[in-house]
Amino acid sequence: MKKKLSLAPAFFVGPHLILFLVFVVIPTIYGIYASFTQWNLAGSPNWVGFANYSTILFDTSSTFHTQFFNGLKNTLLFVLFTVPPLIVLPLMIAVALSHKKLKGKTFIQSVLYVPGLISISASALIFSLIFNKQLGITGNLFGSTIAWATHQPYAWLIIIILTIWGGIGGNMIIYRASISGVAEELYESAELDGAGPIRKFFSITLPSINFPLIYTFVMTTAGAFNVFGQPLMMTDGGPQQSTSVLMMYIRQLAFGSGESIAGMASAMAVLLGLVILVISALQYYVMNRNSN
Amino acid sequence: MKRKLGALLTGVALTASLLAGCSSNANDPNTITFWTPLTGEDGAYMDNLVKAYNETDPAVKVKHVVTADMYTKISTVLSSGKGVPDLAIIHADRVPGYVKQNQLEAMTTVMQAQPELKEDNYLPQAWGAGNIDGTQYTVPLDIHANVMYYNKDLLAKYGAESFLDDNNVTVDEILSLQGKMDEGDYVVNDALLGWAMLGQIQNLNGDIQEDGKPAVNTEVMKTAVEDVKKINDAGLMTPFGEDGYLMFQSGNVLFSTDGTWSSTAHATVENLNFGVTNVYSVSPDKFTNRSSSHLFAMFNNEQRLDEKEQGIGAFLEFIRENSVEWAKAGQIPASKQVVESPDFSQYMQSFFTSDEKEIESLYIYTYEYYPYISEAVDKYVGDMVRGNVDIDETLQTMQKEVEDKITESTGAATKTGE
Repeated sequence: MKKKLSLAPAFFVGPHLILFLVFVVIPTIYGIYASFTQWNLAGSPNWVGFANYSTILFDTSSTFHTQFFNGLKNTLLFVLFTVPPLIVLPLMIAVALSHKKLKGKTFIQSVLYVPGLISISASALIFSLIFNKQLGITGNLFGSTIAWATHQPYAWLIIIILTIWGGIGGNMIIYRASISGVAEELYESAELDGAGPIRKFFSITLPSINFPLIYTFVMTTAGAFNVFGQPLMMTDGGPQQSTSVLMMYIRQLAFGSGESIAGMASAMAVLLGLVILVISALQYYVMNRNSN
Repeated sequence: MKRKLGALLTGVALTASLLAGCSSNANDPNTITFWTPLTGEDGAYMDNLVKAYNETDPAVKVKHVVTADMYTKISTVLSSGKGVPDLAIIHADRVPGYVKQNQLEAMTTVMQAQPELKEDNYLPQAWGAGNIDGTQYTVPLDIHANVMYYNKDLLAKYGAESFLDDNNVTVDEILSLQGKMDEGDYVVNDALLGWAMLGQIQNLNGDIQEDGKPAVNTEVMKTAVEDVKKINDAGLMTPFGEDGYLMFQSGNVLFSTDGTWSSTAHATVENLNFGVTNVYSVSPDKFTNRSSSHLFAMFNNEQRLDEKEQGIGAFLEFIRENSVEWAKAGQIPASKQVVESPDFSQYMQSFFTSDEKEIESLYIYTYEYYPYISEAVDKYVGDMVRGNVDIDETLQTMQKEVEDKITESTGAATKTGE
């Protein structure tokens, strides 16, 4: 019997597919192609094979080698500093909010979620003022005499605080939704067996929200690798490029004030993409294996 | 089946039209699409100028589009060849790069249509910034410069009014205040320090290039950094990382080396009694205010009709005659007719067009690779002046960084030129 061809799914998927192709697939492929070229965005790309990669990875005297490894180091630091709190804190808040006797849950949830809706540039501006020695709360109320943005470890600290403030709400909502889906009977049975709150958290809550945990962990890590706005706005990469993340170098090479060096920038972006891919795959593999 | 196919095609057509809608009305024959990177108040003043022009009922009206991140978008539209604006404002340091990449159309037709759009009618360096190998690619709107504001009350308090006598505040004069400042008061801040440093290169009769090659790691640069560093070492510069601009506004700093455009913000500060002069100099014989210029330019666009170019000429002539409005943004209009008018003399920045020596002090770098050098200077100068890094090593790093970027861009340009 001949199967009837249905175009209805294509109708629903089609527009998304077109947008995905135009804005994701084609630019990605072209970006990878550009990474094998010298290109100033104006003329045709000049094919140079693996020269860009070779320079970035092995030519220790090259500026691009220095920039790449400094940028990657700082990006990794940012990931290490921000991803654990962006998983643990929202989880703790979500668990706390799931307590039956707690009042004003919606209000607390809104207060924590709203910062995520504010653009990074606007948030960074607010935090720059908060940590401004002359104008800010830190100087005037708490008597801090530190120029936060230009001295370590304070420069990292303000970037981390801003990131956590803005990022906590998204993961919290996911955890809240997952925790509310866990069957109440499980907790009741555990209580009858004499389990305390900590035991219930580790034995019931955590295993039940395994997938959302993996998802948020992978996505938060991938997002953290692409960090750009916070260090740019808060510290401008300083002091002495100690908060210059890789995306800042990539952006300046491709869209700086001088002639574009898009080929080299693309090679750095591809390498960053590979790092994200490998780490995300590892995270997924390790967490999935443990849960099984 | 046909209905389903029709629905699918409609969906695709809708999506396609949505995507097509992303492009502007750049091909509208009755409108000049005019892109500028002028965000904030600058954009509002330009809006006023465009509105005033459109009220003269010209044959082709102008549509001003403030485009944040304009240069990135310019790259995109030039690559695709679609949605290229008819007219744009670009900065002076962009001209050599765009011309090398063959992306700018010469202003020849526009200038032929409007004979007053000529070199004699503009401040020379603003006009010259758009002239490459004898071809005029731009018509200037303004000069915006690094300048030095002074707090009149503090100058009187510390007996430093004589510093202004010859319009050249030297580093030695600044150093003479060592040990005389009250706690919390400073002589100068570090606003636009990179620009101030590039001005010192000229004060020492140096340059940022030698025979077309970048010259960053030079004795002149080292001397300039070391001399300015003396101010920091004497404790006379606002502390590292602190908002020196704000400290000037709050009345704790004698001199602030920011831009002509800052005068409007300073003027809103209550009880800030301030004036403007040239940026401090490491030399007693010369002062320089490192400048840039907003320039009108036409990017290559085969679809730009002759009528539009005539319209662009008429608009630029209107700007030449009426750009005193632009002075409200704190800028120095490039039109001589405007800067020589009594209206302009009421603006603070008219100080810089008050005589030939002042006009000469507005220095615009036109070296092809200036943007790379400027990026390096901005990135490293603060740490060098503050003593956070070794000057010799850092100058070597800067030189290498600029050279590496030039090597890469030259490789790409080889293909462009084919």
